[in-house]
Amino acid sequence: MMRSNGTVGRCLVNEGTNWNTMIERIGQNQDREAFSALFAHFSPFLKAFLIKSGGVTPENAEELVQETMIKVWRKAPTFSASQASASTWIYTIARNTRIDWLRKQNRQNPDELHAEDVYDEREDPTPYSSLVQIRNKKHINEQLGKLPDEQAEVLKLMYFQGKSGQQVADTLGLPLGTVKSRIRLALNKMKLGLMPAYKEGITQGGSYT
Amino acid sequence: MINRHPESDLMVEYATGSLPLAHTIAVTTHLQFCEECRNTTESLKDIGGDLLQSGESIEVSDGLLDRIFDCIESGKDEISAPLKKLCSDKVANDLPGYVSNLLPEGNLDWRKLTSSLRVAPVSVGEQDYELSLHRINPGGKAPKHYHRGREITVVLKGSFSDEDGVYQPGDFIVREPGDTHRPFATRNEECICLSVLEAPIRLTGLKSVLNPFLSFSPS
Ligand SMILES: [Zn+2]
Repeated sequence: MMRSNGTVGRCLVNEGTNWNTMIERIGQNQDREAFSALFAHFSPFLKAFLIKSGGVTPENAEELVQETMIKVWRKAPTFSASQASASTWIYTIARNTRIDWLRKQNRQNPDELHAEDVYDEREDPTPYSSLVQIRNKKHINEQLGKLPDEQAEVLKLMYFQGKSGQQVADTLGLPLGTVKSRIRLALNKMKLGLMPAYKEGITQGGSYT
Repeated sequence: MINRHPESDLMVEYATGSLPLAHTIAVTTHLQFCEECRNTTESLKDIGGDLLQSGESIEVSDGLLDRIFDCIESGKDEISAPLKKLCSDKVANDLPGYVSNLLPEGNLDWRKLTSSLRVAPVSVGEQDYELSLHRINPGGKAPKHYHRGREITVVLKGSFSDEDGVYQPGDFIVREPGDTHRPFATRNEECICLSVLEAPIRLTGLKSVLNPFLSFSPS
């Protein structure tokens, strides 16, 4: 299963299982080889992601990659492949690192609250003990590729460029309602709209119009 | 029974990190009550993980890995969770742990808005939004008011109703600018809510001087 250090950097997306094992090796044995492989694979993606996401300059991007990867090392003992896959876990750490960094730039009480507190993602091993893992990653992966272009475009702007629904609407020159409905359709299509309200497209929140 | 959930666009904004902090807190609070939305959130993060690896990649500089190992060895950047003093206000016992952990230590600064409605600000270091706790006495009515900005309310304890329905713990309610409503608590129990306000609300029929949300600025 394990690849040698040389080829591991070229691992493909759907071989995510290997990365779970790598993180477990880091967590259990402080395995530097596994960490180096993980670094080789993820850090170029992280760098590009952080730069595109807005607010982070290319000069700052490596600082953030560094911060993210250090957290990966330190948090590895709490990683649980049954709760999240490696890429989801690393994405979340990078997202939180970016949020904290942006807040620090704005001097908004950086020391008071960290993104992982706000998202309730402290290193508690089972933050949601009742969480039933009903999601199927592979399924999501496939569905993502099958989305109509206009829906995929909206999601990509949100994920890659950190845009809000309103900012996507402004960028594409569309009414906010259109953007919202594309998001809803995309989530339904990927079977993420677990609630009947999502499925039927009924608006929520009482007087929401 | 939770009937009201964040809309799908808000859920994606939550997962991708584009929401202001106060809104993020409101969604996480809803997640304390709602397993369906927790699952949705996990799946939305899975999408992030997938897109991360299918996106562009940019080479990092040669020495970066070594610098990271240096940091790890020196123990610099060690994560030290500061010991947080707990909020001693009695209300904290009635709230989900996640919410009470966000509250300041000591007692909350409850301000009486009417004989049956009190509000306490919760500072999260943002200027554009006000995060606060509201308490309505059993059977109490909040003053009729309309919203100049968007307001998000998450019911934490008890229940309240307005012209549109009854809201239970966990319900995530969004009020758009221009909405006028008059919430009142269920008769047998007080109601506690978390709310995020984008712009101050204005009480109808009262002078704006009495607007409670303007009084948040030091006075
Ligand atoms: Zn929900």
